[in-house]
Amino acid sequence: MVKVNAKLYSKNKILIHLSNLKKNFGSLTAVDGLSLEILKGEILGFLGPNGAGKTTTINMICGLSQPTSGEIIFSNNKYKNIKNHIGICPQENIFWPKLTCLEQLEFMGEMYGKAGKVSRDRSKKLLELMGLSEKSNVLASKLSGGMKRRLNICLALIHDPEILVLDEPEAGLDPQSRILVRNFIKSLATEKTIILTTHNMDEADRLADRVAIIDYGKLLLLDTPDSLKKSIGEGDILEVELDQDGRENTDVLVKNLNQICDKVKINRTTLMIKSKNLIESVSEITTQIKRMDFKIKEVKMRENTLEDVFIHLTGRKLRE
Amino acid sequence: MEYWIVETKIQQSNTPFFLFCILNFISALVLPIIQKDATPMKLLSIIKKSLKEQIRNFWILLLTVSMAPFFVFVYYLITEASKPHYDLLVVNLDAGIEYSSQKMNYGNLLISAAQFVKKDSISIPLKIKIDDDKSEAIKKLKNKKSDVLIIIPEDFSLSIHNLSTKKNNNSINIEFIGDLTNVNYMIGAIWANELLNDFIFEATQKTKLLKIKETSLGISGRVDDFNLCVPGLLILSVIMLMFSATIAFVTEVENKTMLRLKLSKISSLEFLTGVGFVQVLIGVISILLTLLVAVWLGFDYAGSILVLIFIAVLTSISIIAFSLLLAACTKTVNEVLIVGNFPLFLFMFFTGAAFPMNGKELFSVWGYSISLQGLMSPTHAISALNKVLILNMEFNDIIPEIIVLVVLTFFYFVIGVLSFQRRHMKVV
Repeated sequence: MVKVNAKLYSKNKILIHLSNLKKNFGSLTAVDGLSLEILKGEILGFLGPNGAGKTTTINMICGLSQPTSGEIIFSNNKYKNIKNHIGICPQENIFWPKLTCLEQLEFMGEMYGKAGKVSRDRSKKLLELMGLSEKSNVLASKLSGGMKRRLNICLALIHDPEILVLDEPEAGLDPQSRILVRNFIKSLATEKTIILTTHNMDEADRLADRVAIIDYGKLLLLDTPDSLKKSIGEGDILEVELDQDGRENTDVLVKNLNQICDKVKINRTTLMIKSKNLIESVSEITTQIKRMDFKIKEVKMRENTLEDVFIHLTGRKLRE
Repeated sequence: MEYWIVETKIQQSNTPFFLFCILNFISALVLPIIQKDATPMKLLSIIKKSLKEQIRNFWILLLTVSMAPFFVFVYYLITEASKPHYDLLVVNLDAGIEYSSQKMNYGNLLISAAQFVKKDSISIPLKIKIDDDKSEAIKKLKNKKSDVLIIIPEDFSLSIHNLSTKKNNNSINIEFIGDLTNVNYMIGAIWANELLNDFIFEATQKTKLLKIKETSLGISGRVDDFNLCVPGLLILSVIMLMFSATIAFVTEVENKTMLRLKLSKISSLEFLTGVGFVQVLIGVISILLTLLVAVWLGFDYAGSILVLIFIAVLTSISIIAFSLLLAACTKTVNEVLIVGNFPLFLFMFFTGAAFPMNGKELFSVWGYSISLQGLMSPTHAISALNKVLILNMEFNDIIPEIIVLVVLTFFYFVIGVLSFQRRHMKVV
């Protein structure tokens, strides 16, 4: 059910409220009682593995799919025809291969009711912003993968929507294009509400104001990236790769290291040590390891990531 | 809390649009009036986009447009090769006569008359060859270089002269030589006999006891096998739209650009009208191109070109409607090229498009007979074209065909649009 409640926005700047949203495809439950709020002007990242229900949720918000149950409540009556106010950059690059970049942008602009000249001017502007001006008159099928992705984003923005949905926007992009797209998304955030779905933690971490972690169609956690990372403990992570040589007394090693640091785990040959001010304890840790006749192959120290949050929540890695 | 229920279904026209789709070239003009969100600009954009894509899909366009002219050419070659003609070898031994101080040779006159003679409206399929030597001529006959050998006697001119001046009533002796078991000899000899009789009656100024007048219906007297095939082949050029139209629809599904269209303000009607308009245009170009090739190869047509175009437009819409059904059953261009062969085969060979055929009557409506093949719209288009182009009938005479064509088109559209929307444009 899709509803409108004008009070949502006036209270908390809530643009869209998803309430107990559910979507079944036969016996498969793609979205299972999802409830969350999307605020005006924010970049909300949907983070989850493939098949978590991110795209299905987006499709229901856009009106491309009907919820099995639950409600989508918009804060403004004008969103009753949400398609006019939402722009989608789908996961796959969707375009007309036999039309040039400019032709398809113009065409889509006109399909959204923009007059010919307005559509043409906006198309040119978008192509320029996305670094595709030189490819204006090139058939879309002739573009490189990164260029196709950028064209896909242009197509989502041609009607200047208030809400922008980007489904895996950085997928398949080369480093240069990734920076360009990332900066472009950030520049849009001041005037648009952006919903970002991704299974790339780095992408979500760098771009999103808030991140909703979804798995099996359920919302596991929703907060800012920093808060999410803090939720599983502040501090850094030290990863030590051991050359065990068939030794099995790792339990003693973990016990000894626990006297130095708060959290120590071992996964096969990898020691994971989590603690505040870890840099000060590195020397002591390595000495302890060597003292027990373990050989160290590699030592890595890094900050908490959203992947750690996800592993903490689900007990498995994001891409598993 | 105040709630308003909001529809999120994909923008679908509630207008009884099937009717308008049937005449979609007209709907381009009336659309802004009948549908709130529709604008001529949007429709024009779809037409423009569809036209560009169609031109850039060069091979599909070439296949659609060139197939029927190619068939016309093949049929021309077949009919030309199988056209009956009989070789008549004449040995003129006529010595001639001198009459009023002028030399007359009726044998020579007969030969020159035989080369140009026509029987009413049918040209006589005789090829006249001349030889001076009888034994040489018989040798040629034996070697099958000729079907019939005629020996004009030495006294041929004299005998005709005597008959015309009533000096005597003796018969003129002409010798026919040939293989009496050979059908070509028999038909050739009959035609030669007919020719000789006509010549003798004219030369002797005798009156024939029986004179037959043969009146052809329309231009049927001038019609040969090739001409009879052309109306069907003209409709075949429109049937070939089945591929290009289905591909035009299915490409949007395969490329997933249907998603973009669903998200925009475009309605099903606008999309179908825009794509359909371009296909109708291709249909008309294709039929005119086929006609041009047929005329170049000797097709002699009667009737109005405007009526031909009208039938072409109507049949194109009908094929586009059927293509929607085919598009509903397929998801990719490859599937279209495989699955599409089955209906194409039916439409080509069971409607009379590839060769003339008559079906067994299932029922009749106000005297208009409907056969099993009649459930395929091109059958009626071919019947209408036969009436107009071959029998030189008026528009009024093809109204039953037009009505059935419209009814079938409507029927195809209802099923086609519903199936297509259900399969590819529905919100799940």
